[in-house]
Amino acid sequence: MAEAATAARPRRWEGLDRATPVWLLAAAALVGLILMPLGWLAYMSVRSDGGLTAAHYVRVLGDPPLQKALWNTVVLALWSGLMALVIGAPLAWLTARTDLPFRRSIQSLVMASFVTPPFLGAFAWVMLAGPNAGYLNRLYRELTGAVDPLLNIFSMPGLIFVVAIYTFPYVYIMIANTLGLIASDLEDAAGILGAGRFQVARTITLPMVLPAILSGFILAVLQALALFGSPAILALPAGFHTVTTQLWSFFQYPPRVELAAAFSMPLLLATALLLLVQKRLLGRRGYAAVGGKGGQRRVVALGRWRHPALGVCLAVLAAAVFLPYGILLKAAFSRAWAQPLTWDNFTLDNWSFTFLSVTTRSAIVNTLELGVLTACVGAALATLLAYVTNRRLVAGHQVLGFLAVAPVVIPGVVLAVALFVAYTRPPFLLYGTLWILFLAYLTKEMPVGYSQSDATLRGIHPELEEAGRILGAGRFRVLREITAPLARSGIIATWCFVFIGVIRELSASIILFSPNTKVMSVVIFDLKEEGQFGAIAVLGVFMLVMTFVIVAVMQRLLGRDVMGGRQAGGAG
Amino acid sequence: MPGIAIASLTKRFGDVGAVNQLDLEVRPGELVALLGPSGCGKTTTLRLVAGFLTPEGGEIRVGDRVLSSPTVVVPPERRRMAMIFQSYALWPHMTVAQNVGYGLRFAGVGRADRDRRVDEMLRAVQLAGYGARYPGELSGGQQQRVAVARALVVEPEILLLDEPLSNLDASLREEMRFEIRRLHERFSITTLYVTHDQAEAMVISDRVAVLRDGRVAQIGPPAELFERPRTRFVAEFVGKTNLIDAIADGPGWVRRGGLRLRVPGEALAPSAASSTPPATPVVVSIRPHQIALGPRGAIADASGSVLAGTVVRASYLGDAVDYQVALDGSDVVLRIAGPAPARVGPGQAVSVVVPAAACVLLPAGD
Repeated sequence: MAEAATAARPRRWEGLDRATPVWLLAAAALVGLILMPLGWLAYMSVRSDGGLTAAHYVRVLGDPPLQKALWNTVVLALWSGLMALVIGAPLAWLTARTDLPFRRSIQSLVMASFVTPPFLGAFAWVMLAGPNAGYLNRLYRELTGAVDPLLNIFSMPGLIFVVAIYTFPYVYIMIANTLGLIASDLEDAAGILGAGRFQVARTITLPMVLPAILSGFILAVLQALALFGSPAILALPAGFHTVTTQLWSFFQYPPRVELAAAFSMPLLLATALLLLVQKRLLGRRGYAAVGGKGGQRRVVALGRWRHPALGVCLAVLAAAVFLPYGILLKAAFSRAWAQPLTWDNFTLDNWSFTFLSVTTRSAIVNTLELGVLTACVGAALATLLAYVTNRRLVAGHQVLGFLAVAPVVIPGVVLAVALFVAYTRPPFLLYGTLWILFLAYLTKEMPVGYSQSDATLRGIHPELEEAGRILGAGRFRVLREITAPLARSGIIATWCFVFIGVIRELSASIILFSPNTKVMSVVIFDLKEEGQFGAIAVLGVFMLVMTFVIVAVMQRLLGRDVMGGRQAGGAG
Repeated sequence: MPGIAIASLTKRFGDVGAVNQLDLEVRPGELVALLGPSGCGKTTTLRLVAGFLTPEGGEIRVGDRVLSSPTVVVPPERRRMAMIFQSYALWPHMTVAQNVGYGLRFAGVGRADRDRRVDEMLRAVQLAGYGARYPGELSGGQQQRVAVARALVVEPEILLLDEPLSNLDASLREEMRFEIRRLHERFSITTLYVTHDQAEAMVISDRVAVLRDGRVAQIGPPAELFERPRTRFVAEFVGKTNLIDAIADGPGWVRRGGLRLRVPGEALAPSAASSTPPATPVVVSIRPHQIALGPRGAIADASGSVLAGTVVRASYLGDAVDYQVALDGSDVVLRIAGPAPARVGPGQAVSVVVPAAACVLLPAGD
């Protein structure tokens, strides 16, 4: 029997995967979002009328006040990182590995500290430990009859303290998660040989957790480097600058953009370097890998140390949550926040004042609009990108994954400077509109959004999609009918993460806003200038309530702790 | 019912050559097993046939359609195939009936027709009445049968199975082997079956292709692979065997030190020259169950070698005994399978009979 003259070959179009252009578009969006502003930033730092120059660098790096700002930033970052470690590590061990009472509540309260915007905490602590009217100082004076205050929050130690209590959750999360992976039998082995429980902690557990500890420290330092609000509230009145506040001052009229661009670079390089080190410490998996098969985990009995340990945890939480929230609530409902809360002092005027003010209302609307828009676009983009990288759909998908988390390297203020430079010239005249804020938020929240989407998609076995395809469903149909339903709660979680990040954002907003495009955090900042602590407290409470509602939604969806605690009910 | 023709298929992952100029033909309606250790390229080959991977060289043809080549790959949804995955890949958010009926939606089958075919297929895999359940409510064995039903109901031209039984416990695995063979005989779909379990491959297949380093080391019906392996690797991988490195010692004889064995008179291997020149190194493969064992002097064989030895151990397995016998005057220790109960014990002097026909000569240095 004669064979067919030529075997039927597939035509060109039959073999082409119709989904490819979509992926390429998403990739292009990412590249444009991140590389373009950074490129402009680098260019501006060396630009002058006569061509390229290093003069800007010479000026910013040689100027004594600016050098002082750099030094202050280093001091702040390292000390607050250290303090965050000293707070976070023991707390993590106590809640994750011992029989500390009220472990779950303490974990939830640490999370409250995690979602509290640091600048709000700084405001609260001004009300608590300001040298003149601060609540704690007044209490101290009344009790001891002293004249001088006990605490002065307007100082470097004060700033370090406030930064530390709101960055320690990063250390906590990293270490608690790692401790959750270590099997008890490794520690039991030491126990059987005669080591007491603290010896075991010191000689067995500690070395295994060391990479997580170092990595947590680096994360806390990174956060501290990028903060604007706390330094602005606490350092400026005390008469010193950090890099972030200095960058902001470059943008007070008239804006000195080239200097700002050049001064941004050291910060950018520092964060890039730190992240590189952190990545090395953790290896490719992004968490500290520990040996053993991760079997049963038993708790360490604290015995007579139970209550002292609990006391320490409560003291930390008092500093981060109870006292600040307390004073904010009090100030929100008081005529004069510094006076005790008697029936005379109680008022709802702050609330009506705040919500009747046109500026405030439009700021709230702006914040919510931007929050929803950024969350929707961010979740969609992050999911698409996570899909592309997880399923390796384009060549160079690793680069894409890297770019998606690259913005974490860029401190908010620096990002704002870069966007200002990129989008205040034709054809992209976005400055003065909400769009430039949108771009800033989208870029800044992309790493968090992508990480969550990445984790979600990793949980969906590729074979589930392949099974659909081999039975006749095309890529998009599989995405719609198989992947999306399974990824739904993860996508919503991504949405929530981005939304929370946007409503509390300050460091980029403070540079990119214009009179018509204020957001809540900027208005809070304005109110600080006017000394309107009641109104600040109201907005602060409002912001916190919004945040906690979203967090509660997320926890119900994910079935586990927002910070990545283990999923109830075993592996899926 | 088309067959599969794979020619010079090549696929690299970075520097690693996973599939290396692989040639394979699956005849229409045949079930061929791809058998081999991890890393031999069997799963990669399967995924290339499914269209999930693009080859760097060679081509895959089904019937007279070229489905894969380095330049063009027909996407999986247009290849008219079905696949059963190791993890079953049942969609947890769909019912059993929705899972099984999924592929029929793209075949232009009406709702009523679809439901009928789904019911029929569920009955065929003994899951009648389970249509409304969710995969999470089923046992491992039941999930596996849903996966099978889902693949068969679309009446594919080609059926692909990727180690579908490895997640089941041993007794269920045995039962499902026969079930799959029964289904194959009923539906006669051209099938490619990947496994690392040699017993499974032997029960299920029409032919077995043993893969090594991305190529087919030997292909043939299970009996041929077992009785006439062509290389050391195949002899060791398919069933247990004794391998003795020796040198040819004239026609019909091989020698290792003081040990002389009678072997089939002529060819070394089907492809080699008709008689092996003396002093050529060879490997002799002897299956444990073909060697006879008895007290010294009690047995004899004219057409084989009668050797003297001492029992090292005798392990009682219930239905058989696994002996290790050290041959006198040699460093060779033979593994022998005998019936229970044991007739000889450790330390005892024995006679070992190796029939010449049981000795398979293989090329040395594989």
